[in-house]
Amino acid sequence: MPLSDDELKDAICEKAAKSPKPQLYIKDFYKCDPDAKPRKIKNVANELVREGRLMFWSSGSTTMYADPSRIQNEEKNR
Amino acid sequence: MAKHETPLLDQLEGGPWPSFVSDLKHQAETKPEVYDILGQLELSYKDRITHWKHGGIVGVFGYGGGIVGRYSDVPEQFPGVEHFHTIRVAQPASKYYSTENLRKLMDLWEKHGSGVTNMHGSTGDIILLGCRTEALEPFFWDLTHDMGQDLGGSGSNLRTPECCLGQSRCEWACYDTQETCYHLTLHYQDEIHRPAFPYKFKFKFSGCANDCVAAIARSDISVIGTWRDEIRIDQAAVKEYVAGNYPANGGSHSGRDWGPFDIQKEVIDLCPTECMWMEGDELKIDDKECTRCMHCINVMPRALRPGADQGASVLVGAKAPILDGAQMSTLIVPFMKVEKENEYEELIEFIETVWDWWMEVGKNRERVGETMQRIGLNNFIKIMGLEPIPQMIRIPRENPYVFWAEEEVEGGFDRDIDEFRARHAA
Repeated sequence: MPLSDDELKDAICEKAAKSPKPQLYIKDFYKCDPDAKPRKIKNVANELVREGRLMFWSSGSTTMYADPSRIQNEEKNR
Repeated sequence: MAKHETPLLDQLEGGPWPSFVSDLKHQAETKPEVYDILGQLELSYKDRITHWKHGGIVGVFGYGGGIVGRYSDVPEQFPGVEHFHTIRVAQPASKYYSTENLRKLMDLWEKHGSGVTNMHGSTGDIILLGCRTEALEPFFWDLTHDMGQDLGGSGSNLRTPECCLGQSRCEWACYDTQETCYHLTLHYQDEIHRPAFPYKFKFKFSGCANDCVAAIARSDISVIGTWRDEIRIDQAAVKEYVAGNYPANGGSHSGRDWGPFDIQKEVIDLCPTECMWMEGDELKIDDKECTRCMHCINVMPRALRPGADQGASVLVGAKAPILDGAQMSTLIVPFMKVEKENEYEELIEFIETVWDWWMEVGKNRERVGETMQRIGLNNFIKIMGLEPIPQMIRIPRENPYVFWAEEEVEGGFDRDIDEFRARHAA
């Protein structure tokens, strides 16, 4: 059974906080709820960005998602 | 910011052609940070390595595209380019600008950024090069509130859709490319401004097979105008061309004497499907063999016109050579009506079927054309719910990549080899 939006948000944030690399592709979040459609995962991830719980990191050609505190640290050290 | 010695770059001013170095020097007179672009580039030429750091978390609130982060890795030497972000501004349909709009945009860019531009990027956006992080939001506010213009796409977003001049100026446009581009731009605002996909995704709209926006070479979904009835022929005008009274190609080759017009050599023999011939002084076309390439229409525009039952072909999968080399789009739907009346329902349904599949199956940083290649065209057209047609195959029987499935073959793939060898020795 698919996760509720709030459960999915928590699962995505947890993944972003614990993954070895701070930047994650949208597809990396698909595993957070294998029953959810990719479009739903994308919408929820983008809502998390609006809420300030995730951040975008863009190379220009590809956009990734990151936990704000982790990525801001990483950017400082770049 | 001081002027730097740039002996290597100065060589680029030596030729008879326009030089970006001269342009940057000119711009530096009013924007001194531009001296630091020249200085850093000179250093890159010496070190043979870029000194730009690419990408980052910069953007404007609510958008996940339109800004590309760029920083110098030698900011102590070149503080003027410590932050030098790129901003993509969506171009108007077909790039029709008023000078008033361009002047306002340039004033805005002089106010907030370096004043350096690239007109245009390959997606068609106006590219503004060189903005500090703290100037991004003020620029965005002025752009959207004072000018009513928007940022374009970047990253894993739908990129800014692009179209040819279409029916605004061109008699050959088989659908309203500008209206289609505008409608889909508004329809897919979320996909343009926020990442949605495994990688970039581009639409381009051309009104006919002349493909003035190179949709077939540059876009993941290429919508190219065509017709499904017969080329309209004005036989009286054909006679005028043959008699040399009308200039071929609308007079576009008139700068030189190419000799008298030869319809056989310049039109009939160059037809890729050899579907044209003369009967007496009348031009005949076997339209069922015509591939709608536009060549004959281009040569004799007063005699030939696209048919009246117009729409578009939809092709999928072009890309520039980043991973596997350049690739042209593959024809998937030979004809589709592209109409405002039904709000482009058929096209939108097609686009979203492609997206839903690609979002699930596409690998990270894999363009849809690469995904198609990886899984095979036969599987792709099954997913799209389409029947294979000969036009999907580049060279029939030579390099077919539509294969029969066992259940489609009567009796399956099992054969009695002995019975076969009795008739055909090995």
